[in-house]
Amino acid sequence: MASPIRILTAVPICDGHDSAINTINLEFIRHGIEVVYLGYHRSVGDIVRAAIQEDVRAIGISSYNGGHTEFFTGVVDLLRKKGAADIKVFGGGGGTITHQDAAAMRRKGVDEIFFAGTSLDEMVKFVHQRYGKPRGKRARAKTSDIELAHTLTEIEEIRKQKKIQNPRSKIQNKVIGFTGPGGAGKTTLIDELVLRFLNKDRQTRVAILSHDPSVIGEGALLGDRATMINSQDDRVFMRSMATRGQAGGLSPATHDCLALLARSGFDYVIIETVGTGQEAMPFQKNGIVDQTVLVMNPDYGSRLQLQKIVMLDLAEIVVVNKSDLQRARTAHTEIEQRLEQNRSAQRLVDTVAKRHRDPGVDKLFGLISASDKSKRGKEWKKS
Amino acid sequence: MEEVMNKLGQVVESVEKYNQFVLDQVKRARTDQKFGRDLLGRWNDIKAKIPTTRAPTGLPLPRLALPEIDEPGEIARFLFGEGLPGEFPFLNGAYREMYLEPVREVESFEKNGGSKAKKIDKRVPQAEEPTRLFSGLMLAEDTNERFHYLTRHQRTHRLSTAFDGPTLYGIDSDADGVFGKIGEGGVAIDTVEDMVRLYDGFDLGSANFSASMTISGPAPIIMAMYIAAAKRRFGPNVIPKLRGTIQADIFKEVQAQNETIFPIEPSLRFLTDMVEFTTGEMPRWYPISISGYHIGEAGSTPVQQAAYTLSNGFAYAEMFAARGIPVDQFGPRLSFFLDCGLDVEYIALARVSRRIWAIGMREVFGAGAKAQLYKLHTQTSGRSLIAAEFKNNLTRTAAELILAYMNATNSCHSNSADEPFTTPSEEWIRLAAHGQAILLEESGIFKHTMNMLSGSPGMKAVERAVEAAILDEFREIERLGGVLAAVEDRYQRSQIQNASHRYEQQINDGVRPIIGLNRYRDGSDDIPEVKLVRTPRKKQQLQVDRLAKFKKKNAEKSKRALDKLAAVVESGKNCFPELLEAVEVCSLGQITGRLQDVAGRFRPMV
Repeated sequence: MASPIRILTAVPICDGHDSAINTINLEFIRHGIEVVYLGYHRSVGDIVRAAIQEDVRAIGISSYNGGHTEFFTGVVDLLRKKGAADIKVFGGGGGTITHQDAAAMRRKGVDEIFFAGTSLDEMVKFVHQRYGKPRGKRARAKTSDIELAHTLTEIEEIRKQKKIQNPRSKIQNKVIGFTGPGGAGKTTLIDELVLRFLNKDRQTRVAILSHDPSVIGEGALLGDRATMINSQDDRVFMRSMATRGQAGGLSPATHDCLALLARSGFDYVIIETVGTGQEAMPFQKNGIVDQTVLVMNPDYGSRLQLQKIVMLDLAEIVVVNKSDLQRARTAHTEIEQRLEQNRSAQRLVDTVAKRHRDPGVDKLFGLISASDKSKRGKEWKKS
Repeated sequence: MEEVMNKLGQVVESVEKYNQFVLDQVKRARTDQKFGRDLLGRWNDIKAKIPTTRAPTGLPLPRLALPEIDEPGEIARFLFGEGLPGEFPFLNGAYREMYLEPVREVESFEKNGGSKAKKIDKRVPQAEEPTRLFSGLMLAEDTNERFHYLTRHQRTHRLSTAFDGPTLYGIDSDADGVFGKIGEGGVAIDTVEDMVRLYDGFDLGSANFSASMTISGPAPIIMAMYIAAAKRRFGPNVIPKLRGTIQADIFKEVQAQNETIFPIEPSLRFLTDMVEFTTGEMPRWYPISISGYHIGEAGSTPVQQAAYTLSNGFAYAEMFAARGIPVDQFGPRLSFFLDCGLDVEYIALARVSRRIWAIGMREVFGAGAKAQLYKLHTQTSGRSLIAAEFKNNLTRTAAELILAYMNATNSCHSNSADEPFTTPSEEWIRLAAHGQAILLEESGIFKHTMNMLSGSPGMKAVERAVEAAILDEFREIERLGGVLAAVEDRYQRSQIQNASHRYEQQINDGVRPIIGLNRYRDGSDDIPEVKLVRTPRKKQQLQVDRLAKFKKKNAEKSKRALDKLAAVVESGKNCFPELLEAVEVCSLGQITGRLQDVAGRFRPMV
C-alpha cells in the first residue's frame, strides 16, 4: 500500500484565524492525508524550515489577515532558495484574496488558491490529484537538512535500511526518550528543554522525533509542532511521524529513523512517543536510547494504577509535570514510594513546564545534560 | 493565581437563591395581605407616572409598557424577577429609556383628552450617527484622515480603531517577514509618535470625544502609548479626562481569537496592572471590553458565547478584587460585547446575561448599583453572512438587528452584506448603517415605548431555557477548577471547536437551512468584482524608516528604560507606570520582546 500523502498546513505570521484550517485539517485527515500542522502566527522561515524537515509534498496556507501576496510568494521564494522547490504551495483566504491577487500569486509559483465557497471535497480532491502521485527520482539534496529529510522519507516509505554513511558522529551525543500518558505535557516539556539546550551554547544542535497515532492507510494529525515555540529554530531538526497502525506508541520506521538521527551530528536527539497507557517500555528494543524520561500527570487515578505502570520500573527519570495542580504533592509522595521499591537510582522531578523559567525544568535539564556518559557506548553496541 | 478563581460556583448559587427569593416574594404577596397591598400600591404608582407619547400618526402610547397584571403575586414576580428597565435585576434594560426618541409630545392624556399638545421637540438628527465608526488602514496619518472624514458632520466623535496584524501581535513593522502586513486590515502603530499622528486634530480630553481600541495581547503597551500621546499634546492634566475603551480581553483571545503574546498568567497580571491604574486615574475609561463576539464568530453556540463571556467577566472581577481594587471602582468600568445571530437563543441571550451579571455582582462581589450593569455593545453576526446570493445578507442583518434591540443592547454595529468576500465597501457599509437608522428612527418598533417586544410567553420560555443552560456551563467550568484552570485545559476552546464543526456539518446535511446555499439555490451567484484598498509598498517602507529613526534617536535611552521596566516586572510591583515611561523612548516590539524575556511567550493552543 502506498504511503499516505504528507502535507503541512499553517496560518501566516500575525494571523490567528485558525477556524478554517482546523476544519480543513480534519477533512484532510478523514481522507487519508497526513497533516503536519504548524499552527497560527507562523513566519515564512518557520514554515519553510518545517516543510523541509518534514519533507512534505506541499504546504497549505490559510491566510485571513492581509499581506498574502507577499507571504505566499515569500514561502515559494524561500523554498527555491533553499533548494526545496519540489515542495509545492497552495492555500486560500476566504474573501480576503481577490481573483486578481490569486492570479498574481499563481504567476509567482503558487499552485492553487481556493476562494470563498469552495467545498471541502474540492480541496481534498485537489490534494489527492495534485500531490498523490509517487515522487519521481529526487534531485541531489542541496543541504544536509534536506538530505536527512529525504532519507527519513525513504526509510518511512520504503522501510529501506539505509547503509550507515558516517559512523556515529564524533560529537558526544545523547539520545533521550520521552514517554508518558497523553496530556501529561511531554511536548511542552521538550520545547522548554530545547530552549535550555539552545541557550547552553551557540553550537548545540537538537533533533526531535515525535509521534502521533494513526491507523494503517489513514490520515493523521501531526500537531506537536503547533504548540512548540522554542523548537522553531535552525539548530533544531524535528520530524513528526504517524504510527501507521503500530501499537506501543512508535512507528514501524522509528528504529531506523532514530538510528539515522543518532549518527547525524546532533548533540541531543529527543524521541517522543504518542501518549501511552500502561504498556511496557516503548524503547526496549531500540537500545539507542540513552536515557528514558517518563512524564506523568498528577491525575493518574488511584495508587493501585501506579503498580501497573511498567515504565516506572524502567525510566531513569520520572517527571511529575503540572506540579502546580492540587494533587501534585500526593502524586509526588506516591510515586516516590513506588520508585523506592525498585531500589535503583531513579530520579523524580516536579515540573511546571507551562511556566517560564520553571526551576523544575531547570533541574531536569541539569540531570539530562550532566548525566553519566560512559553508559552510552555500551547501549550503542547492543543495537 | 488558580486558587483565587473559584467564585463561579457562588455565582450559580446566588442566581438560584435569587430565583427562590422571587418565588418567595410571589408567595408572600399572596399570603401576607399588607405586603400584597403595598406592592399593589407601588404598582399603581409606577403606572401612573408613565408619561404618554404620540406616534406620528397621533396614536397615544405609554413610554413604558408593563404587563397587564393586578394580582400582587404576579406583580412581585415581575418587579423582583425582571425589574423595570434600569432597575435590578435589569432583565428589561440597563437604563430607563435606552433609545426612545426624545419626548415629542408629552401630555397627560386622561386629563386633557388629547386636546392641547405641549411643546413639540422638532429636533432632527443633523447627521447620521451610525454608532461607532470602525476604521484603521495603512499608516497613522491615513487613518487619521479617515477619522476626520467620518466625523465631519458629527457632534460627538466616537472613533473605533482597528490595528494591523503586527501591532495586534506586539511586533514592530521592521520585524522579519511582516512587511506585507504593515497597515493591512488596520493601522500600523509602532511608537508613541505614531499614536500622536493617529488622533491628531482631535480633542482627546473633550467630553465629546472617545476612542475605542480593538486590541488585546499588547493592550497595556498600546494603552500606555495612548496616554503618553495625549500627555504630549495636552499635558498631564488630560489623563483623568480621557474617555474610551480598550478591548484587552485575554481570556477570549486564548479561547477563540489567538492574539495572545505572553503566557496567560503574566498577560492577566499586566492587564490587572493597567486596570488598577486606569480605574484609579482615568475614571471615564473602559479598560476592558469582555467580548463574546469572537467566541461566537469562532463557532460557539449562543449559550456557550453567553456563558464564557459572563464567566470570563466574573473571573476578571475576582482578579481585580483580589488585587485590592474596590468593586465599585472597577465594576462600572467593565463593558461587554456580544455577537447576535439568528438562532432562537438570541431572542433573550443578552437579557439573561444582564440579569445573571447583576445578581452575581451584587450578591457575590457586593457591587453597588453602577457596578451591577452589564453595559453591552452588540454586533450582528459576521458568520451568518454568506457569499452565495449575498444580497440576502441584508435581510439576515436586519433580522439580527431586531433581535439585538429586543435585548435592549446599549449600542450596536450592523455588518455589511458584502463582508463574506471583502473588506466592506462604502456602498454596503452605508446600507448596513441605514438598516439601523430605519429600525430605530424610521420604524416605530423601538422609539416610542420601552418593553415593546418584551415578555412574550415565547421570550420567557427562551429566557428560562437559556439561563438554565448558562448555569450548567458555569457548573462545568467550576468543576474543572474555575475559569483559568478550564482555559488552560483548553475546555472552552474544544467546546467552541466542536460546536463550530457541528454547525458546518448541519449546513452540509441541510439540517440547518441557509437560504440560497443549501435551500432555494438557483446557482446564479452574483459576487461583485471587489476592489480592495491595499497599503502601497512606499507607505510600508515609510513606516519602517520612521521606526528606524525613532530607534536610532532613542538607542541609549531605550536600553535604560527597558532595564528599568524589566526590573519592575521582576519585582512584582504594578508595572504600568513604568510602561508609561518606557513608551516615550521604546517601540512596541522592543517592549514586547523585553517583557517576553522576563515573562515568557505565549504557547499556542490548538
